[in-house]
Amino acid sequence: MPKELLVDPLITHRRGALRLPEIPLHAYDRPLAAERAARGDAALIEVLRHMLLVREFESMLASFKATGAYRGIEFAYRGPAHLSIGQEGAAVGQALGLSPEDHIFGSHRSHGEFIAKGLAAIARMPGAEVETILATHDGGWLRDTVAGALGGSGAALAEDVLLFGLLAEIFMRANGFNGGMGGSMHAFFPPFGIYPNNAIVGASAGIATGAALRRKLSREDAICVANAGDGSTGCGPVWEAMNFASMAQLTRLWEEEHRGGLPVLFFFTNNFYAMGGQTAGETMGWDRLSRIGAGINPDAMHAETVDGANPFAVAEAVARKRALLLEGRGPALLDVECYRISGHSTTDAGVYRSREEMKLWEPHDPIGRLAAGLVAEGVMTEGGVEDLRTGVAARIEAVTRAAVDPALAPPVDVAGDPELIGRRVFSGAEIAVPEGAPPLIQPIEKSSALRGLGRKARAGHDADGKLLSGLRAITLRDALTEAILHHMCHDERLIAYGEECREWGGAFGVYRGLADVLPRHRLFNAPISEAAIVATAVGYAMSGGRALVELMYGDFIGRAGDEILNQMAKWQAMSAGGLRLPVVLRASIGSKYGAQHSQDWSALTAHVPGLKIAYPATPYDAKGLMASALSSEDPVVFFESQRLYDQVETFRAEGVPEGYYRIPLGLPDVKRAGGDVTVLTFGPALYPALKAAEELSGLGVETEVIDARSLVPFDYAPVLASVKKTGHLLIVTEASERGSFAMTVAANAARFGWGDLKAPPRVLGAPNWIVPGAEMETSFFPQAYDIVDIVTNEFYPRTGRNARGLRRWDDLDLARRGL
Amino acid sequence: MVPVVVPQLGNEISEAEVTEWLKATGETVAEGEPIVTITTTKMAMDLEAPAAGVLKQMVEEGEIVEVGAPLAEIE
Repeated sequence: MPKELLVDPLITHRRGALRLPEIPLHAYDRPLAAERAARGDAALIEVLRHMLLVREFESMLASFKATGAYRGIEFAYRGPAHLSIGQEGAAVGQALGLSPEDHIFGSHRSHGEFIAKGLAAIARMPGAEVETILATHDGGWLRDTVAGALGGSGAALAEDVLLFGLLAEIFMRANGFNGGMGGSMHAFFPPFGIYPNNAIVGASAGIATGAALRRKLSREDAICVANAGDGSTGCGPVWEAMNFASMAQLTRLWEEEHRGGLPVLFFFTNNFYAMGGQTAGETMGWDRLSRIGAGINPDAMHAETVDGANPFAVAEAVARKRALLLEGRGPALLDVECYRISGHSTTDAGVYRSREEMKLWEPHDPIGRLAAGLVAEGVMTEGGVEDLRTGVAARIEAVTRAAVDPALAPPVDVAGDPELIGRRVFSGAEIAVPEGAPPLIQPIEKSSALRGLGRKARAGHDADGKLLSGLRAITLRDALTEAILHHMCHDERLIAYGEECREWGGAFGVYRGLADVLPRHRLFNAPISEAAIVATAVGYAMSGGRALVELMYGDFIGRAGDEILNQMAKWQAMSAGGLRLPVVLRASIGSKYGAQHSQDWSALTAHVPGLKIAYPATPYDAKGLMASALSSEDPVVFFESQRLYDQVETFRAEGVPEGYYRIPLGLPDVKRAGGDVTVLTFGPALYPALKAAEELSGLGVETEVIDARSLVPFDYAPVLASVKKTGHLLIVTEASERGSFAMTVAANAARFGWGDLKAPPRVLGAPNWIVPGAEMETSFFPQAYDIVDIVTNEFYPRTGRNARGLRRWDDLDLARRGL
Repeated sequence: MVPVVVPQLGNEISEAEVTEWLKATGETVAEGEPIVTITTTKMAMDLEAPAAGVLKQMVEEGEIVEVGAPLAEIE
């Protein structure tokens, strides 16, 4: 909502018609002779050789899947094989049009793009650089293995390493490119510009867009390519990514030196089928895929349809789009028409397409067509083509023979090291306290809003013990602002965005005043595209940046489900530690707005391995935990309760320190000492627990209140130490009880505290139904009297107090009814 | 003389901080011109001059004032 953008009714109401740019279809018309003159015979033969390598590599996988053997090598490959046989022209053409420093992000069907990009990098990077890359990858293990098994040196050895490293990864072996943690659909090798392939259709669109933002801000002269299939144009996150890459603010509002569209090319390998659904004509509204560019921005994303069976047509288009992207005119879209000769996967019976259709496409096999062209042009003889084929097949056979040998490509030793995969999940690393001085719009002191923080009392009580209002003392909101301000003002790699993050200061004011000092490229308003917000953050972080993004309400996690649960959570482990993902995802947990705006979904994020999760309840903890989250190299989901934004610091007499400090994630904190019952709370449940503790004290029961502060990691020691003393544990959460993280803690506490417990651990959460409106909330979120009810009735019946709350229901009966 | 008071800012808000004076005492302001930024726990907003005239501030920057309390006068 920048005020400099005027919404003028005179302009918006003007009569007229939209004129859409023309979208070229198959504009390429250079004869092969012209390519020969421009590129030379050797380059043309190399293109054919690269396509043949891709074809033979995938034919080998197809053969293993179909018959368990390939050229006399028997091997049972049990993983997936989504093959691109017939689409080699698109992959090799793309690599031909790119530079080694460009980054590609792939799909589940990206073996071809991987091999083509790697071969092109080896051909074009200085030999010494390639050697250094291979000598340093995994301590040279892969290179030495291949050199020992297959001999060779220089570019030939590098190509063998590329093929062997990919195949070992597909077989999920320890010396695969990603330590056997990625496999067929997730393989990658960044030194050659090959970034993660992705098993989720269209997922690379947002990740490549975020990576392109990083490249733009770090002024690298290179582009990112989002590889996806035609089927992915039915996926919302792909549209979100294309829109994010086209945001008008990039060209209209960002500072001069950062102005311009994102350097990302959406490269759709359009094989006309989305598994078995036919895109054009059946499942999609578009007739030509390139048409969708017109729906995104006034440039129609410079969209074009090109012939994917002709690698030179593809290379020419990619090179043109690349030049335009480097001029800041991105994003761009290519609809690359191909025909997949093989099935979607090896279980594809081909029932969805006719023999007649397959026959029609035979002359468009990119390999057959180029081979015939080269013979006709006199570049090669038929015998020469045959020799090339034979040589390629022998090479793939040799690489395969080595890769199936467990002595050369050993399985991941999970038996010898049962926690090996677990150790890949988090790096546990954190950055030093940032001390940089990136350019600010103006000094912090010039911002009246940020100056206001300095006027506030640090502690929540005044000298007379009176509770101060949130206007007079530092609140949890202010504490978050202070930690974020420090990182934003001292770490140029960190950027922050989300819906209404800039002028509005975030829906709940945590960024209030930050727009006074931070330039637009470091703090900006994102579209209402939760999937793109998280996916771009993943791509940005994967490419060396750090991202702080916001979802406004935790209830919107569903809108970014894949991006949080599959992408943000998993890439560190799937890269075997090769990638770091410093992303902090802020999500508020609401109240008063009912069923779709007030849910505590922390358990969803805790259930998926790979996310660290914080949920502070006090200003002191919020500031220290946010500083830790922003310092973490691991991804963190940071939950904030809307009910606590105005909470002042009431636990530490000295209040919230003005200076920078960190509180490690994972350490529960004792907020009140007591010897009769332990109450462990998550988030805002801390406050009713303290109120209950007061009442219980009056009844002669002393309560130890522990604030969990984090969900992942979680150190049980303070809880078990407390239980040792009290013998009773009540866990209070605002999440619905069934499947909550509190239930996990209860189960573990019962197991590890069994000897000390005098009664089973008890969970008090929200019931398993929708969050009701504001007036009924006390019936839903645990109240102090609910806590007292449980402690007096279940743990200490001697107090003789009758239950006062509404929760007198029969939990087993509710469970029987699904509640 | 036209008074400038802290407006009603929502049913849960009883006070606001005077964050920044955008116009000084003695300055001539036009009707509708922003004169002061006030902040509540929920939001920051600019108040506009209710009339044209010469501004006289009645509270200092950083002070916390209740809803309905006078902030300034316009002569």
